[in-house]
Amino acid sequence: MNREGAETYLRLLAEALIRGSLAAAPGSGWAEGPAGGRTRMMAAGHALTAVGALGFETLDDIVADFELAVNVRQQDQGSRGGAPLAVPSSAVAGVLSSAAVGRWAARLHPARSAPLTRASGLMWGWREAAEEAAAPDPEAPDRFVPVGLSLPFRKEGVSGELYLVSFAQTGSGARFIAAWPDRALARPGMLDPDSIGLDWLTVTDDRGARYDLALVPGAGPGWAHVMSVWPPPPQDIHWLDVAAPPGPAARVRLERQAPDAGDEPEVSEASLSPGEHLLTMLADRLLTTAPESWRDWRRQRAVASPGPLPAMTAGLGQIVAALEAADVLSPLSPVPARLAALCASMGFGGHGIAAAPAPDLPERWLSLLAHYQRRKPDMAPVRDGYAAVAAALPDLDGIRLALLGLDNTEGCSSLHVLARGMTAEGQPGPLGVDLGFPLSLWLRDSGGRWHAARTAGRHRADTECVVRLRLVPPLPESADSIEVLASGRSAEVRARLPLRWGYPT
Amino acid sequence: MTDIPNEPWFACLPPCDAYVPCGDGRHVVRWEAGALRLLSHPDPEGELVLAALGGDKARCVEVAQAWGRHAADLSVLAIGPRGPADEIALSWDDVDAAAQVGARGPGPSGPPRVAPMRLASPSIPTSARVQAQRQRMEQEMARTTQRRNDMLSLLALGYGFQVRLIGQVAEAHASPPDDQLARVRPPLVAAISARVALAAEEWIGIDPDQVVVSLHRGPGWGSVELTGQGGQRRLQVSLPAGWLGRVWAAGLALAGRHLVVAVRRGGWPDARVLALRGPGTEPVPLDVHGSAPGPVSGGLDVRSGPADAPHWEI
Repeated sequence: MNREGAETYLRLLAEALIRGSLAAAPGSGWAEGPAGGRTRMMAAGHALTAVGALGFETLDDIVADFELAVNVRQQDQGSRGGAPLAVPSSAVAGVLSSAAVGRWAARLHPARSAPLTRASGLMWGWREAAEEAAAPDPEAPDRFVPVGLSLPFRKEGVSGELYLVSFAQTGSGARFIAAWPDRALARPGMLDPDSIGLDWLTVTDDRGARYDLALVPGAGPGWAHVMSVWPPPPQDIHWLDVAAPPGPAARVRLERQAPDAGDEPEVSEASLSPGEHLLTMLADRLLTTAPESWRDWRRQRAVASPGPLPAMTAGLGQIVAALEAADVLSPLSPVPARLAALCASMGFGGHGIAAAPAPDLPERWLSLLAHYQRRKPDMAPVRDGYAAVAAALPDLDGIRLALLGLDNTEGCSSLHVLARGMTAEGQPGPLGVDLGFPLSLWLRDSGGRWHAARTAGRHRADTECVVRLRLVPPLPESADSIEVLASGRSAEVRARLPLRWGYPT
Repeated sequence: MTDIPNEPWFACLPPCDAYVPCGDGRHVVRWEAGALRLLSHPDPEGELVLAALGGDKARCVEVAQAWGRHAADLSVLAIGPRGPADEIALSWDDVDAAAQVGARGPGPSGPPRVAPMRLASPSIPTSARVQAQRQRMEQEMARTTQRRNDMLSLLALGYGFQVRLIGQVAEAHASPPDDQLARVRPPLVAAISARVALAAEEWIGIDPDQVVVSLHRGPGWGSVELTGQGGQRRLQVSLPAGWLGRVWAAGLALAGRHLVVAVRRGGWPDARVLALRGPGTEPVPLDVHGSAPGPVSGGLDVRSGPADAPHWEI
């Protein structure tokens, strides 16, 4: 890795951007605006920090100097043009770069080791008292169990249905992935999951020991939540009974369920450079973000030749060049050409990638492009439901993933995973790439269509993180199995899993 | 001729003045022979002592302190002018406005304030840690604000001071020890690239983006070669960091139709330089004569601009 080359590239990029502004016609200023230049700077800078070729402090220094250089020149243009002589506030009041503020904010964010709900607050004292007696055992073997049980409840005028999707127990604790749509609550105005009252639920094991529950609400429109179980059940417990009023209890068997747990995951070696892996994640980001701008995209494609959504691709060429300058991307790598072909296929212009578009694209990219390029790409809304899956995947670049369930809610599909070994949470990635989940993850349904995953929410507890991954496009309810493909730099993991869908009544 | 003379880097630079609003009037700050002189403050150190005891600090003294703080600050190279066409004309009113905004803290367009975090159950150690981190962040913000105000003040001195400060910074890093080279080379390469690329454009009409610079170390002046054709054409330039101070800051980058690569015998207003007629040629010695409009050519309200820079003729 060439760290000096990385820093030199970014500084020269800043110089080229400033020079471009100087060469512009008097009064016209920046061809794409200073914000455009900053976007390209930050895209390249974040790519370099993502691969470890550039330190954050160095990036902050370069960006701060660039912004001040830009601002004092804008001020000069303003004064010569007769504009008011107020120095742009960003030139003087932006005392820290936004990147630095973001990192500081992340540092100030306390590590959460407990759910952030009223229920957790109430049980805090109990938890502290019980910690010595039943502390999680980091060495304890993992236990991932697909559950797939429905638990109706009715009490105090509130009724609904709770779905237990899966159970996961690791060295950091035990938890259910549970689901209940807000609309499953019958009493009007009771839309806060917190108000369901976990003290209504009882959890008992096969020895009669009782457990407490604490809730971590899911983020976004999904209705899956993490429900931690305290204390962690001993390893030799065979089942848990979860009961809600008026009953009866649903029995969750904790023995391994080999017959329908799918085949053993297959691991194959990969040898992506850090730059290639980052570009692959960027491609995933492009493919999964396009639907959010689908209407604008199609409208613009119909009337204009320049690529739409320029913000998504501005800086791609600089990212590729920066990675090459840092010696983390070979000039012979085929990935930039694939990325250029992907941009061309999606109609994204202005990406600046020097490589000619590649003639071939990976099958999964083509599958998603074919979906987008249908005349009516928006799928009919799928019925809300959940699928109980649970499987641990082998170590991938030091990250251990466990699949904990799927759900379809309001037309969106989500895959829930437990991730351990991730180190870059809070670190900004280029063009929106989530470095907190540094893997490329795709699903192929039983109909052969591929679905890309993008992080949509997470809850961190100690060294673990429960992540909600949005699937693009949504998974059809006709899918009775999936093949999960998780890719890192050093390896790919494929796991085939049967799906058992459950639906709200 | 490959040896660089053992003369001060500023040998080809004449004195330069600027008016600074100080107290109830305007005082002359003079750069001369590599040093800043406060003509209206015969005892600046004594004034600093008084300021430390609670008295007001004169702005001239503040400017001199800022100059000292940034005399080896590589950021100066990234912010300051790239050439005479790149004028940064900040007024002292701008500096005052900036200082007032900075003192108020970030406004609506500044970085977001960090909202107090809601803790599930903050333990005392966690609170103390968060408080300590917050204090460190505030200290970092204060340092950054100070640095920014310093820079604006130094830029407000005008073009003549801006290029002299760039020369001084470059000279401070002209011979870095090996263990510092990786740290200083990227900003030095960028700084030389930014300035020699514009000169090369004027020299042979090459696109500045086609100029590739490396830092020359060791004996000799370096090299300048043209390679490739069409879009692949590149002007490969290797110059020492000292070129910024000894040549560029003195306004000597181009003399006649020559690219000046070194100063053989420094002096004002007469000097002998080494210059290239074209890429790949051997440098030839040229005797040059400089002229300048004189100190503080613009009156009380105008800082020195590129027009006040020395003009050299063969």
